[in-house]
Amino acid sequence: MLGSTDQQPLVRLRGVCKKFGGVAAVHPLDLTINRGDFLAILGPSGCGKTTLLNIISGFLFPDAGSIEIDGLDVTRVPPERRETNMVFQSYGLFPHMTVEQNIAYGLRVAGAPADECKRRVAEMVALVHLDGLERRNVAGLSGGQQQRVALARALIMRPKVLLLDEPLAALDLQLRKAMQIELRRIHRSIGGTFVFVTHDQGEAMALANRIAVMQGGRIVQQGTPREIYDAPSTRFVSTFIGDANLLHGHARDGRVTLAAGPSFPHAGVDGPVVSVVRPEQVQIGPSAATGAAVDRVLLSGVVQDIIYVGTYVRFAVQVEGAELIVHAGSGRAAPNVEIGDQVAVWWAVADHLVLPEE
Amino acid sequence: MIAQRGRYALLAPSTAIFLLCFVAPLSYFLLLSFYRIVSYQIDTTITGENYIGVWRDYFQSISFTFAIALAVALSVTALAFGFAFYVRFKAGRFGILLIFVALVTLFGGYLTKIYVWKTILGQTGILNTALMALGVVDEPIGLFLYNPFAVIVTLGHYLMPLAILPIYGSLRNIADTPLRGARDLGASRWRVFFDIILPQCRIGIVFSFALSFLFAAGDYVTPLLVGGPYTSMLGVIIQLQFGMRFNAPMGAAMAFTAIGICILVIGSFDLLLRRILKVPA
Repeated sequence: MLGSTDQQPLVRLRGVCKKFGGVAAVHPLDLTINRGDFLAILGPSGCGKTTLLNIISGFLFPDAGSIEIDGLDVTRVPPERRETNMVFQSYGLFPHMTVEQNIAYGLRVAGAPADECKRRVAEMVALVHLDGLERRNVAGLSGGQQQRVALARALIMRPKVLLLDEPLAALDLQLRKAMQIELRRIHRSIGGTFVFVTHDQGEAMALANRIAVMQGGRIVQQGTPREIYDAPSTRFVSTFIGDANLLHGHARDGRVTLAAGPSFPHAGVDGPVVSVVRPEQVQIGPSAATGAAVDRVLLSGVVQDIIYVGTYVRFAVQVEGAELIVHAGSGRAAPNVEIGDQVAVWWAVADHLVLPEE
Repeated sequence: MIAQRGRYALLAPSTAIFLLCFVAPLSYFLLLSFYRIVSYQIDTTITGENYIGVWRDYFQSISFTFAIALAVALSVTALAFGFAFYVRFKAGRFGILLIFVALVTLFGGYLTKIYVWKTILGQTGILNTALMALGVVDEPIGLFLYNPFAVIVTLGHYLMPLAILPIYGSLRNIADTPLRGARDLGASRWRVFFDIILPQCRIGIVFSFALSFLFAAGDYVTPLLVGGPYTSMLGVIIQLQFGMRFNAPMGAAMAFTAIGICILVIGSFDLLLRRILKVPA
């Protein structure tokens, strides 16, 4: 588990909004970031997440609303006078400087004494594992190394908030995995407050202790990765984070009837609904072996596809009007069904979420 | 092996032209500059007398020429930098239009520009006519034309678009994110300019300076037409040595002196810029 935060608010956004040419990139929103948080702002491209990051960093001023960092109003404070530092998606290293000069730049601008610069650069070089590359020109470094320089260059300023804009997007899969572990290690060892923007839900889940999901310029849900995965508040969140099966239905008089057939009791507003169930919550078995129960939703279907992923087996089952994805245990626990078999699929009512249709 | 040989084969034509049309004649003139003319004949005894003569007899002309060239190069480089900087960072999508306008003036020939400035600066020129019409002066001012100032303005006007291009090119190569990065790390706009932008376009600046300096130092048409009697540029005198005076060795010595000074000035400019920008040489 990532370390729990002490719940002290460090950054507060109140009613912050931003329009570009009459189009709202960020609708008025509130966001509180606690000291020690590793917050992911997660959303598809164009959802306003980078705009939000730029507002926190000071590269954009909001049209309305206020930003407070550590009790100080910084709404109109430019980036050079904010105690935030940014790791840019394209790194933004200074190509005419060496690794060392890049890392030391912020301290030099601040007028720190030479011996302090030297000491802190050495600290950073050790922290991000760039030993031996100090005198190298940054242009000759690999993507992962450039990423580390960008990180060191920002962290040396000991920012109150470290902002990362899609920090790992430019790296290949292998390197991304390694850098995720690095980032968590660095966050743990220096204990700062990190905010990063990503469109990759896996990355958000792997790194963050809190996630704010954005859609269309609004934060649609905030919480721990587990809260967001287990209890998505909207249909969008449920599909954006993790895989989810969506089954359409209709709620009336305290019962929901799915288009695929079954119905079950559900307290809620009447109208079109969608039942969201994670693939690993769905059980699969031969038709004959099914036991219907009151607290279950039971469907029958035909197996369309089986993929042996390794840690689990992925079944695609065609039920009436929908295709269900089922993740079942691999190895000896794997259900004994073949492609084309008539099967039963079911899940406990407690394991699915009924959300209003959007 | 074939690739290796192929590479040299590709280089061969241009190398041949370079050797034949550039290295060979220059070597010949270098040798010539150490000979002397004795009773209309070339005396092939090696002597440094010509070089001493250049400094003794033409010192004033040399210093005048390079002072003018330096003034032209410095002002043109500064103005070109301002223009290119505006186009790259401030003008947005109108930038390309501005560059186009600057380049269009290249279509007007070199001589045309000289005559344009004669028309503007002359006794009955546009400037004097305007000043008289406005009642600023009662009679035309003769101060505008036929002096070093006119030479600087005319050469500067001609060289401006040529000087803009290298600087604009190097400014365009500067990415935006490092500039944002520097600001994020606490640098003021002025420091971003000094620490990040200038060092990255140093080559372009030196190139523009060298281009305008060399052209201004070697030019002999502009001073003849707008420069007046006391503006004897070195180019004119070198031409005279080869032509009217039949003293090719002296002309060659002058030319090599000029080349030497040019290398020295441009080298010093580069060194100075490196020193200011703290770029290791």
